[in-house]
Amino acid sequence: MIYHPPIEVYAGRVREVVLGRGNKALKIGGENILPLHLFEGSVANPPRFALEVYDVEPADWPDWLLEPFGEVVSDPVNWARKCVNDFGAEAICLQLESTDPAGEAVSAEQAAALVKKVNDALDVPLIVYGTGDEKADVRVLSKVAEVCDSENLLLGPLLKENYEEIGKVALEHGHSVIAQSPVDINLMKELNIKLCKSFPANKIVIDPVSSGLGYGMEYSFTIIERAKQLAVIFKDGMMQMPIIANLGGECWKTKEAKAGREQGILWEAITATSLLLAGANILVLRHPESYKLVKEIVSG
Amino acid sequence: MIIIGENIHIISKAVSEAMYKREPQHIQELALAQVDVDYIDLNLGPARKNPAEVMQWLVNTVQEASDLPLSLDTMNHIAMEAGLKLCKKRPLLNSASGRTDSKELMLPLAKKYSIDVVISVLTDIGCPPDVDSRIESIIDTVTYANELGIPNEDIWVDPILLPVSVDQRQVMEVLEFVKILPELLPGVKSVIGLSNVSNGTPQPLRGILNRTYMVMLAKSGQYSVIADALDEELIRLNRGELPNIVDLIYGVMDEENLELSGLSQKERDYVKTARVLMGGEIYSHAWLEV
Repeated sequence: MIYHPPIEVYAGRVREVVLGRGNKALKIGGENILPLHLFEGSVANPPRFALEVYDVEPADWPDWLLEPFGEVVSDPVNWARKCVNDFGAEAICLQLESTDPAGEAVSAEQAAALVKKVNDALDVPLIVYGTGDEKADVRVLSKVAEVCDSENLLLGPLLKENYEEIGKVALEHGHSVIAQSPVDINLMKELNIKLCKSFPANKIVIDPVSSGLGYGMEYSFTIIERAKQLAVIFKDGMMQMPIIANLGGECWKTKEAKAGREQGILWEAITATSLLLAGANILVLRHPESYKLVKEIVSG
Repeated sequence: MIIIGENIHIISKAVSEAMYKREPQHIQELALAQVDVDYIDLNLGPARKNPAEVMQWLVNTVQEASDLPLSLDTMNHIAMEAGLKLCKKRPLLNSASGRTDSKELMLPLAKKYSIDVVISVLTDIGCPPDVDSRIESIIDTVTYANELGIPNEDIWVDPILLPVSVDQRQVMEVLEFVKILPELLPGVKSVIGLSNVSNGTPQPLRGILNRTYMVMLAKSGQYSVIADALDEELIRLNRGELPNIVDLIYGVMDEENLELSGLSQKERDYVKTARVLMGGEIYSHAWLEV
């Protein structure tokens, strides 16, 4: 008698979202199985990886985090190029830290001009994160959307306080967006429902907030896991957006990651691998070595 | 269903001020406003200062205005006994539980005054996490109460309902609990803090959650709820004046395939709410907007 393993067929499918356009286009999501249940179907797209670039030279990074990038840490365009050409990043995540109103408060125009320069220099899609300041992000991300018209950047974070304003401009100029809620499945769903009233669901990526190992990673894991179950098993249309795990910054701000090179790299790699297991579709990392490690695991 | 009006509650700022200053007017207005209920609940909260005196003042104040029986709601056994002594009609002791202090101090009061008593599933380690542990806890405590001489007929069991925004799964589990209760402990009654289901939900949306869950509880055999007596639609539902709404909610519970398109906005909202409470949809504050 031949043994046939029991195979579950699920009702739901995660939406496929395209980042970038033309030759740059990169698809994420699209799976109709739970994370790693490869025996039950196929993933439409493998998990993707973006490396971080900052718009301002990092002031407090340990040497082992600066070392791989060398001089380009003061030059976002070449930093981004290096991540793609030397380290094989599949996307770049530009963090607009300088626009923080409590910090340098760089103008929206200046930030948008830089985003355009970085985007023009790349042949991979660009993700752009504001600082999370609900007011400043409206100004900055709206300007970015306008200046990079129809480039289909992935812009975020959209919060419950500002999703309408940023969503409207992003849609007008042909971009995709990141809906962010604070590690809470109910608030995640609420934001998606509200955003979807004025924004197409197939251009939304969920950011559940990804905490680092030892700092609440298990909460992020649980939320991602539940969102995937609701999307795939229970066919909940408001949970069927792909998930971004923006974890680099969260890992490298821990004292453990700052304590030593190897430990830091492992801290980021373990966090990334865990959230990958939970079901994240695209992960944002900082150190090229941790990216390499995780990529090796994924490639088997 | 028996309704215990919850509106005289320390959590209301006006109530707490009136209690503190011993001003009867607002309290008596609230007592009179709760016309369609079977009991008036007097919730004192922790009552740290002069608990016995506050409870006695409250009982007298309410009894001057209303003839309804009272449900005395405090964790403080001294306040409880002081209040019980003054009740003109057979009151409800709200509440005892499986906590050691409650077994030792509250349950004996129910026996001493030969009154009805609410017993919740709480234990020394908190609220049991699932149906099985709720059952285990309540059987223990009811057995203990029986040994003290309190008959099942005087016991109102409270499974402790958590907000749907906190733990959606247990909202359904509580319905299960209510259904099997008569087999577990024949003769006991059931009671529940209904408004708990909507705690944390934006104020304008709380009512429909409360009302929908009340209907679901009724179908499961619930005996009584502690509820917002000023919610007119809740009272009407309980009186059987809105049978179409009740049918729709029952339909969701029976997994009938309901077509939303022919329904009014209000009917659709009840169907959506029942679906969320049955766990068919993950809860969010925007559940009516889908």
